[in-house]
Amino acid sequence: MTISDKIIMHEKLAISVKKISKNYGGKNILSECTFDLESGSKTALMGANGSGKTTLLNILATLTSPSSGDACINGYSLKENSNLLRAQIGVLAHIPMVYPDFSPRENLYFFGNLYNLTNLDKRVDEILHLSGLWNRRNEKTNVLSRGMHQRLALGRAVIHNPKILLLDEPETGLDTGGLEMLKTLVIENSNMTVIASTHNNKNAEVWADNLLTIYKGKISTPT
Amino acid sequence: MRTTIIVLEKDLRIAWRDKAGWLSSLIFSAILIFIYAFAFDLAGTNSEPLLPGILWTTFLFSGIITCNQSFQQESVTGTLDAMIASPISQTSIFFGKFFCNLISLSIIQFMIIVLGTIMFQVNLINIEVILAIFLGTIGFVSLVTLLSAFEYRERFRAVLLPVIELPLLIPLLLAGVQASSSALEISNTSSPWLIFLGIFSLWGFLGSILLFPLVNEK
Repeated sequence: MTISDKIIMHEKLAISVKKISKNYGGKNILSECTFDLESGSKTALMGANGSGKTTLLNILATLTSPSSGDACINGYSLKENSNLLRAQIGVLAHIPMVYPDFSPRENLYFFGNLYNLTNLDKRVDEILHLSGLWNRRNEKTNVLSRGMHQRLALGRAVIHNPKILLLDEPETGLDTGGLEMLKTLVIENSNMTVIASTHNNKNAEVWADNLLTIYKGKISTPT
Repeated sequence: MRTTIIVLEKDLRIAWRDKAGWLSSLIFSAILIFIYAFAFDLAGTNSEPLLPGILWTTFLFSGIITCNQSFQQESVTGTLDAMIASPISQTSIFFGKFFCNLISLSIIQFMIIVLGTIMFQVNLINIEVILAIFLGTIGFVSLVTLLSAFEYRERFRAVLLPVIELPLLIPLLLAGVQASSSALEISNTSSPWLIFLGIFSLWGFLGSILLFPLVNEK
């Protein structure tokens, strides 16, 4: 492989994980995980409960530091440029990460402001329409249903149009409309690199072009 | 600066809407002042020399309730993680929380001072007393904000308050009591307690800024 081939290959890579391990309380949660994901790829991360999916996503989201190893996300090292790479990623976790005393509009406005977005009003309105929360935009979030919380959480995660989206079981609580929103906002966005943990094999087969299987903290089958 | 204001504005709005934090702190403080006032009145003792101790004990507990509240919701809802995963610096998050707690506690302290002046019939609204309280409050709020973040990150949070938080606050509280006594002309100590209080507060403030990102690391 020539140097120019290597440069082109590097530019194509959105996520490059090198030998990431995580030990917690004397227990090996992740063990030397290594994989590469291309820009715009949609990857399903599958594995049993407790296999290390959430820990891996938390490490890529800079919320947990790895015990050893490093990852390169859009050219930024997890260890050395975590502040810079945070602007590139969006995170959807197990819990919605929204303020229950704020309305959906206030939540989106607050998180959008953290990314210093121009035209924030327009973007907030767009997300509220796409998520089907427009009619309830001024109600307190704590009166919304679980599915609506999840729609809002997804809206929060994509408010800044991230290049990389990390989703931890995004289908939880979503109805047909919510799944459609997930498809429109995330899956059909060709510029966005997505890695999502899921237990739903059938759905993953539809939207994912990559499959990562994690078993007892080890990546077993990158395909 | 911009992001500090965004976090501060959000925290103040949440504190105002979720009245549980400041309201329970305010009622708790008022009850404590009433109990002390009636207890010393019944004992027939001169309560004036005890007043700085009463004030700082009340500030301690109301402060812990107020500052802990600011992290409790963030921890349950995961919103602290959402802020950490955004490109703003953790120092901005700390400053936003610090100023929100400082404003909330200052309002509660003002009520305590007014109530103390009425109940103990000692004028607490003088510039020297207020300066000592304000200086001590800066260090106190810094440390309690830092430790509240720590408590909600750790599994052994139940033991953190008695084992780390309260012992760490002892020098600051002692200096606060002594500086307030001097300001009220209760003690004729020659030690510069106001300067000690300033040094403890500065140490607490700077240490908290430096340690806050480490506390949030998992």
